[in-house]
Amino acid sequence: MMPLLMANLGEEYIIKQINGREKDKTFLATLGFVIDGKISVVNAMSGNLIVNVKDSRVAISKELASKIMV
Amino acid sequence: MAIRIALTGNPNTGKTTLFNALTGSNQTVGNWPGVTVEKKEGKLKGHSDVIITDLPGIYSLSPYTLEEVVARNYILNEKPDAVLNIIDGTNLERNLYLTSQVTELGVPVVIAVNMLDVLEKSGNKLDLDKMSESLGCPVVEISALKGTGIMEAAEKAISLAKSHTLPKERHVFDKNVEVAVKDIIALLPSSVPDLQKRWYGVKLFQRDAKAIEQLNISDDTLNKIEKIITTCEDAMDDEAESIITSERYNYISNVIASFYKVKNKDYVSVSDRIDKIVTNRILGLPIFAAIMFLVYYISITTIGTGMTDWVNDELIANIIQPGIQGFLESVGAAEWLVGLIVNGIVAGVGAVLGFLPQMLTLFFFLAILEGCGYMARIAFVMDRVFRRFGLSGKSFIPILIGTGCGVPGIMASRTIESEHDRRMTVITTTFIPCSAKLPVIALISGALFDNSPWVASSAYFVGIAAIVVSGIMLKKTKMFSGDPSPFVIELPAYHIPTAGSVIRSMAERGTSFVKKAGTVITLATILVWFLSYFGFVNGAFTYLTEEQMDVSLLAHFGNTFAWIFAPLGWGTWKPAVAAITGLMAKENVVGTFGILYHVSNFDKDTGEGIWQLLRADYTPLTAYSYLIFNLLCAPCIAAMSAIRREMSSVKWFWTAVGYQCGFAYIVGMIIYQIGSLIITGKFGIGTIFGFIGIIAIIYGLVRKPYEERHPEQKAGARA
Repeated sequence: MMPLLMANLGEEYIIKQINGREKDKTFLATLGFVIDGKISVVNAMSGNLIVNVKDSRVAISKELASKIMV
Repeated sequence: MAIRIALTGNPNTGKTTLFNALTGSNQTVGNWPGVTVEKKEGKLKGHSDVIITDLPGIYSLSPYTLEEVVARNYILNEKPDAVLNIIDGTNLERNLYLTSQVTELGVPVVIAVNMLDVLEKSGNKLDLDKMSESLGCPVVEISALKGTGIMEAAEKAISLAKSHTLPKERHVFDKNVEVAVKDIIALLPSSVPDLQKRWYGVKLFQRDAKAIEQLNISDDTLNKIEKIITTCEDAMDDEAESIITSERYNYISNVIASFYKVKNKDYVSVSDRIDKIVTNRILGLPIFAAIMFLVYYISITTIGTGMTDWVNDELIANIIQPGIQGFLESVGAAEWLVGLIVNGIVAGVGAVLGFLPQMLTLFFFLAILEGCGYMARIAFVMDRVFRRFGLSGKSFIPILIGTGCGVPGIMASRTIESEHDRRMTVITTTFIPCSAKLPVIALISGALFDNSPWVASSAYFVGIAAIVVSGIMLKKTKMFSGDPSPFVIELPAYHIPTAGSVIRSMAERGTSFVKKAGTVITLATILVWFLSYFGFVNGAFTYLTEEQMDVSLLAHFGNTFAWIFAPLGWGTWKPAVAAITGLMAKENVVGTFGILYHVSNFDKDTGEGIWQLLRADYTPLTAYSYLIFNLLCAPCIAAMSAIRREMSSVKWFWTAVGYQCGFAYIVGMIIYQIGSLIITGKFGIGTIFGFIGIIAIIYGLVRKPYEERHPEQKAGARA
């Protein structure tokens, strides 16, 4: 398991765990970040990532990306 | 009875485009009660008895954001006759997550699939009949952009509303969960309508605080429910909240397979290809800077300014003002009434409306950037930069607009979801010099600095520094403490915005700008005009001519309070009064100086003509301290009323204005006191205060951020 931050561009991963506050996790879930869901990093910019999750493009901050384990 | 249809869907699904297409110009825009979430309602074209309500764009019906609470309360409490759920065909799974909740609310639902053409272009196939079968409610294809299928979707919703056909119930969850939900439903108070029982059952299973509060459940029942939940949690080895979330997604991915066929897995959409360049690590920032420069250059310096100058100098000064004056004089109106209307209302409101062409041009470009999807990318590109001083990537737009006018700048902060970030942006946006402050800058730089260009550039530099410094300082205070909410923003697929939506968005922003000028500013203008044109001459209260202004009420007022500004180097009544009239509109500062120095013939844009007189009364240092104070202190009345509205709290309004004035005062004092020390070498009491000011700011910057202690820590500290 590793944080999404370290993921390779374009490769598809499975979300194994999401850390953080309950409130934030719930919000992430509604955007499609769920355990066992697929995720891939489309683009990275000084730590902030653009990811592909459930077919939509979502930009997330570095801090958040470090809490998503794949 | 009118039929009420609620429009719901994820953000960026074309919901607003659909709403506009369905209702045309027949809309009312307002706010939902008590919150700054926009509420739009309109009558369906050709059906005066059908009212469509545009609910805020949301991802789910959990109580995570204001928008979600607004949307779900509307459906539960106002019980619309039908819900039209628009979903993005290219993003089914995520969109159906909301659908799976909407179908539980006990109202008829029609699903409208948008952007099917894009989906088909990528080679994927969607079977609408099978989809309707699996989801238990009618599914129609629409194109919000082209306007096809939308009337059919609305008709379908009307017929469903008339027959009150509810979605067929589908077993969404695992057996364990279904049993638990059933048990909870049995415990629900009888006040819950039958149709909403399942919804509340699921919500209570999720321990949804808002639902518990709404139903007013007794502690006893709550304990029983808690037992049911824990039993289920043990059986499923997971938390209730996340059980529901993953069960919903499981359900969706199961049913989706029956009607959605993915043909082309490796298809790279146009949008992704654009993003490869636009959000590129190296090219992202330069591209962004180039686009912004272009937008700014066109709206502020070329087209916008040309028209604004024409409105201000020609239309208002040479046509409207003399016209009205001539008319009033010809009908024999009293002198003071002519003064009130011409010099008070027309001049004051006109000054604000003069910015309208500039603003409209800017709004036009912003609507395009927003409509095509680039705005979300800007937030992404700028976030890392802005995050460092406590603002969000989305704060950039308000500040950019603020260089034109603070009012729409403050209004633009509305797109920032996080309350902390939004308040912070509202407080700091007006530090950047707006175009009304330019004449003040020109006056000071012309009078005392030989028109040196560094005065103007330093004004922008001070503005940016004030934003950065304030961001860092405020972030460390108790008011803004707490974890920053995570930066998450969906990047919608790029598409060309329709002309209609661009014009509509421009018109909406323009109208609220004009409305503000028409109400608050008119009143404020009358007040300031009254204070400046009335006073005591030889013991009698009377209407004054411009030459008598130094005995006006405003002058008395200025005399009483001028000492406050002594530490800033300009504690006399004239600059104090000019600063006060600047609250009406910043460029008034120049005009007031003209009046107070009895100069009638000066250039309104630069104050040329007053320069000589100013030079006699001020040193470059006092003038610069005065300039900076005026740039940073509370903005004009129009912008302050915008702050009041966006904060939607009196307390926060005063916090913002108080902070701005306090910060301006301290910076002005530092400039004057430390400047005097450097120039004259004299060390006095004031110098000490200057240093205290510097130390206070440095302390604010480097101190440890306020941290909320956790209850356990407090207990530990006590032990």
